[in-house]
Amino acid sequence: MTMTCDQLETLLPEFFDGSLNVGQETAAADHLATCTDCRTIVSELEGVSSLSLTHGRLVLPEASRNRIRAALGLNPPPSDAPT
Amino acid sequence: MDSFPDMPTPTPSVAVLFDQFADGVYTLGYRILGDRHLAEDVVQETFIKVIRSLGTYLGEGSIAAWLYRIGYREAIAATRKRRETPLDPDEMLEAGDRPVTSVEDAVLAAELTRRLDAAVARLAEPLRSAFVLRDIEQLSTNDVARVLDISTSAVKMRLARARQALRVELNEYLQ
Repeated sequence: MTMTCDQLETLLPEFFDGSLNVGQETAAADHLATCTDCRTIVSELEGVSSLSLTHGRLVLPEASRNRIRAALGLNPPPSDAPT
Repeated sequence: MDSFPDMPTPTPSVAVLFDQFADGVYTLGYRILGDRHLAEDVVQETFIKVIRSLGTYLGEGSIAAWLYRIGYREAIAATRKRRETPLDPDEMLEAGDRPVTSVEDAVLAAELTRRLDAAVARLAEPLRSAFVLRDIEQLSTNDVARVLDISTSAVKMRLARARQALRVELNEYLQ
């Protein structure tokens, strides 16, 4: 089974989810082995996911975390400081 | 055989859920609202509702999807309460809003982080929420569909459009 660029593009969400069936996975791999444009697109989309994972997440500031914990009546987290 | 498929998974305590998901709800709230103070309010209101309704969680779907759905609704409600203002892509977050890194890493990452923030802020909201939940918070596609109350096909379509838009916006960093 051969796959076109358009067909691969349609299946990109499943490609990145790892949810292609075996036949689709083989066809996608065969297509990527011969299509420079699609290889570039897939590589750049992998880059987007990687950057988003490493730079996209925020951390609730410590003072706000403690304030909200107190407002919710939650016990403070255990301290790392030696006793 | 040690598994007991008929046994319900024990529900974690609110404190455990807070430690596990507060940053994620804060991230989702900030990405939707573009304001860290409003995002903090979303975290607090979300966990007030978690405290009130944890007993009603029946184990259908992951607890992450259940909790993010509450957070998502709180963030969307907040956008409706406030006067509509577009996200300011150039708004600087405070240093405490980012995971701790070395000084060198922080310097190298600053420009990239700023560009990513701006690009994500420019996504249309339906694309942005799907992208944040799937690619930043790492929920499964099925869980994203539960949070947003849309089909998995719709999630995949939104993700494809969001990723494509970000690929174009961040192209110079992807070479």
